[in-house]
Amino acid sequence: MSAGAGLGGTPGGGVAGGASGTGAVGAAQGDPSAVAAARATGVTGRPPATPSPGAPPARRRRRRWTPGRVAVLAALVAATVVFTYPLVWLVSASFKPRAQVFDNRLVPADPTLANYVEVWQQAPLLLWLGNTVLVTVLAAVAVTVSSSLVAWGFAYFRFPLRGPLFALVLATMMLPGAVTMIPTFLIWNSVGLTDTLVPLWAGNLFGSAFYVFLLRQFFLGLPRETFEAATIDGADNWQLFWRIALPLTKPAVVVTLLFEFQAAWTDLMRPLIYLRSAENFTVPRGLKTLVDTFGAGGEFQWQVVITASVITTVPMVVLFFLGQKHFVQGIATTGSKG
Amino acid sequence: MGSTTRSSGAAARGGARRGGRHRGPGALAASLAVGALLAAGCATGTGGDGGEAVDYDADAPVGGELVVAGFGTGDEVGAVRLATAEAAMPDVDVQLVEGDLDVQQFLSAVAADDPPDVIGANRDQIGTLAARGAVVPLDACLEGEGVDTSVYRDSALGQLTLDGALYGVPEFNQVQVVMANQQLLDEAGLTLADVDGSSWEAVGAAAEAMAVREDGDLQVIGYDSKLPEFLPLWAQADGVRLLSDDGRTAHLDDPAVVEALTFAADVYARQGGFSAVKANRDAQDFFGAENQFATGVLGAMPFEQWYLNVLDEVSPDAPVVFGTVKTREGEPVAYTAGSAWAIPAGSGNPQAACRLAVTMTATDTWMAAAQARVDAVEADGRRFTGLLTANTEADERIRTELVEPQDLPEPWASGVDAVYAAEDASFSFAANPADAEFTQAWQDAANRVVNGQMEPQESLERAQQEAQAALDAAWAEWDERG
Amino acid sequence: MSAADARPGPATGAGATRAGRSPRPPLSRGARARRRRDTRAALLFISPWVVGFAVFTAWPMLYSAYLSLTDYDVINAPSFVGLDNYRRLADDPDVVLAVGNTLWYAVVQVPLHVLTSLGLALLLERAGGRTAGFFRTAFYLPNMTPPVAVGVLLLLLFNGQSGLVNEVLGWVGVDGPAWTTDPAWVKPGLVLVSLLTTGSSVIILLAALRDVPRELYDAALVDGAGFWRRTLRITVPMISGPLFFVTVIGTISALQAFTEAYTAYFGAGNSTYSNDAALFYSIHLFRTAFEYLQMGYASAMAWALFVVILLVTLVQLRLSRRFVYYEGDQR
Repeated sequence: MSAGAGLGGTPGGGVAGGASGTGAVGAAQGDPSAVAAARATGVTGRPPATPSPGAPPARRRRRRWTPGRVAVLAALVAATVVFTYPLVWLVSASFKPRAQVFDNRLVPADPTLANYVEVWQQAPLLLWLGNTVLVTVLAAVAVTVSSSLVAWGFAYFRFPLRGPLFALVLATMMLPGAVTMIPTFLIWNSVGLTDTLVPLWAGNLFGSAFYVFLLRQFFLGLPRETFEAATIDGADNWQLFWRIALPLTKPAVVVTLLFEFQAAWTDLMRPLIYLRSAENFTVPRGLKTLVDTFGAGGEFQWQVVITASVITTVPMVVLFFLGQKHFVQGIATTGSKG
Repeated sequence: MGSTTRSSGAAARGGARRGGRHRGPGALAASLAVGALLAAGCATGTGGDGGEAVDYDADAPVGGELVVAGFGTGDEVGAVRLATAEAAMPDVDVQLVEGDLDVQQFLSAVAADDPPDVIGANRDQIGTLAARGAVVPLDACLEGEGVDTSVYRDSALGQLTLDGALYGVPEFNQVQVVMANQQLLDEAGLTLADVDGSSWEAVGAAAEAMAVREDGDLQVIGYDSKLPEFLPLWAQADGVRLLSDDGRTAHLDDPAVVEALTFAADVYARQGGFSAVKANRDAQDFFGAENQFATGVLGAMPFEQWYLNVLDEVSPDAPVVFGTVKTREGEPVAYTAGSAWAIPAGSGNPQAACRLAVTMTATDTWMAAAQARVDAVEADGRRFTGLLTANTEADERIRTELVEPQDLPEPWASGVDAVYAAEDASFSFAANPADAEFTQAWQDAANRVVNGQMEPQESLERAQQEAQAALDAAWAEWDERG
Repeated sequence: MSAADARPGPATGAGATRAGRSPRPPLSRGARARRRRDTRAALLFISPWVVGFAVFTAWPMLYSAYLSLTDYDVINAPSFVGLDNYRRLADDPDVVLAVGNTLWYAVVQVPLHVLTSLGLALLLERAGGRTAGFFRTAFYLPNMTPPVAVGVLLLLLFNGQSGLVNEVLGWVGVDGPAWTTDPAWVKPGLVLVSLLTTGSSVIILLAALRDVPRELYDAALVDGAGFWRRTLRITVPMISGPLFFVTVIGTISALQAFTEAYTAYFGAGNSTYSNDAALFYSIHLFRTAFEYLQMGYASAMAWALFVVILLVTLVQLRLSRRFVYYEGDQR
């Protein structure tokens, strides 16, 4: 699902949402035309729906154990098993010796930590994790800062060609990443930065059209009077942006950070394109190599692949539980705002 | 792949590389500004600088840094050989990038003008690399180092020689032997002769007899004919080589090839189809104690000789037997694969690269490595089952001085005999500038058939067209560049 | 495109106020000075995008167009071949295969994706409250799994011999197919595993469902409409905007499917076996460019994709205008 990746990625900065992580909405970040289409559905500009996990719904129904409700709950439980069991299976299998990987038992018959030791010996996982953290943090911070600057420029000021220029921002979202993918690679290649981590995040310094669009929507929602009052008090443009506008749109900023964090962490295509040496790999890139070496194409040592998959996935699960509320809000907002 | 053991397989085992490729964000701003101006710069090639003269001299000292890619030291053979090479050039700082060579990444490194200094690759990859200008001819290297190339196996040299120029120094050799589960053979009332390929009818019948199907699943694979990768073997067994000896003409639609593919695919069909076989295979613990011979879920298959070592190590008591694969006339046959050293265009240290390649493949180095293997397996209570190299001198000495079939218990004694018989009977394809496309064409042809998308005749006709077109185009370009 | 942008609405209120305050002609001197200052400041703020656009969009587009007319492998200098690459595109069997696979996948996956997420969202809506919050979290969890790991799960869970999926099917007496090795079942397997990541669509649709005015249902109940009728007559029309959104994004995402299929069936470890069934357009393009280093031909493939997406988008915009009108009418 979340596959659009580089090909569908944001053409502009080339990077930002390109990696697309959050399933359908992930595609929305990465994918240009998705946003345009969303806008076209006419839902743009509606106030964001803000369901939060614990909040009571607008209309609370009386809870009774009617047969209907039992059926609904049973269906939900069944669906939950389907949705979460693969991860449980994966974690469980990572504690099984090779010969029992396919026994499909929930609790390993002979639990072992050997796979974790082995994967640690077979692959420089710590290095890969370090690379990934570095890329992810830089990518998320860079895209958030640059996109909010640009978004503020478009939201607050009035200047000649603002309309056409903003249309151009949106238009770049329509461009398939595939068109710019090759020349972008050649640029990084010509400056000798392939096989470094730089191309994985540096494009984010120039903003990403999707986040510009998202953040601008939030900026437009701020009351103008606040800024006029601050101007009278002597605040300059930078202060307006940094001291007032940005703090007021904190939820949107957090959403941008989280989305990009996930997108950068899970991206495979760009690391495939740019990284050659094992010591420069990100975790997903390294995991792909492990699949090739130890999986069906290689040694059939599935336990190594499984364990590495768990190590790749766990940080994302932790991230989700930490930022659950923001993820849900961000996605719901994306759906209603485009 | 190029090594006699699986140890070199781990592409991910890290390893140091040339430092200093990371550039900080400081360089970035400048880089980007430059990038925008590099419209012309991007469009140029970075290769093609292999023509410049490099002086190779066996007596000249070499120094500097040497980044080695595509070579594994995961076993004693690799480790001893590398140590020997390092001892031969004490002033060289050898840095190893372990794991198999990823050709695409290598090409992209050449394109980025940042290739390793020397590479170990599969011999059937060298032609394409040479055609792209990604590796340089080694005649001057071997001459300068005073190497007598006649010690190298002819079939290996043939895989590395394009238009009279040698592009690689051959290393390991791999050949196939047939491996079977004696117990399953017995239960089905069969013998090794039924599965060695001398009678295709017998192989098909044996596959069916030993296969066990339950609930639509294939529980036991009767016979794995190893398509697509062993199509060249089956074609050769039927008397036809897929490629002419000058490397210019494909013979994929030869009736004998059609017949061979029909046979090998039918072996799968008789057991419920290739996808059932592959699904079974994918779930097996191929390198573990619970491998398919140990657990009795595979009747027989042709496979590379190095698997003897694996079986000896992880499941010495599995009821396995070995023999050579036979042609339909009953003669031994094997398809040689193997690795080679090559020097990339733009190598930063060609002299040291050449010295390394030559030292690694010298007879004495091989002998030291083989001795280390003997010591290691004996200390472990295991058996030395030989070491196949593309150096005929080393091979002969290892065979006569170190391998002692008479002292080996069965099945290893007959296994070792089979391996050497197979090597003596082995063949390979001539080097050509389109070997990647050629290989792709016949593999695709076999895949289409085992997957039920096409009949052998039609599939091979299409493959013949694709392969011949690729060969013609690549040779035309090669001849033009001349 | 900019038409939608200019449409006044609550969110664009600030812009509208501003427009009202400084009517175009004639500008007072103060206003003119302010505009100059504004312009300077604005250009400073948007400069990252301007630079990024020039370096990473405009120039690459031009360069890619040029490359599509050449033969270029990065190692050797490009040679001009005119329209050869585009001609080759038309009768390249792999391109035909890739287009076919991609369309097959999109046509099957998108409806299933939308129906699954709508079904789950309806269930959640009926459960309500904290219960819904809990299950929503569960449904979203697979979305956090990196696609590479999903590719791994595909190979393991769907293994035809020992995979969990076939084991479960076995319980109900079904002989599961060889999902990962039988070409006829490779794409269905990819579709099924992709449905694990419907969580975000569920969240969007659930948010939309909660915005449907309760009174509409009450009225329908009075009329004696059953669940299915209420869903079809009221719910679906009322959330048509988000449904369309989820469909469009799902389509685009499906048309560019890459990582799961690439992880499971391509790369250095899969060079020998047939992966024709999983060859999606984006995978074919990626391999042509970065594995075979045929940069010129790959550029032509990219431009062909661009033209197709442009056409699809135009059609989508045309279709969606009706939705805009429709929804405006309802409210």
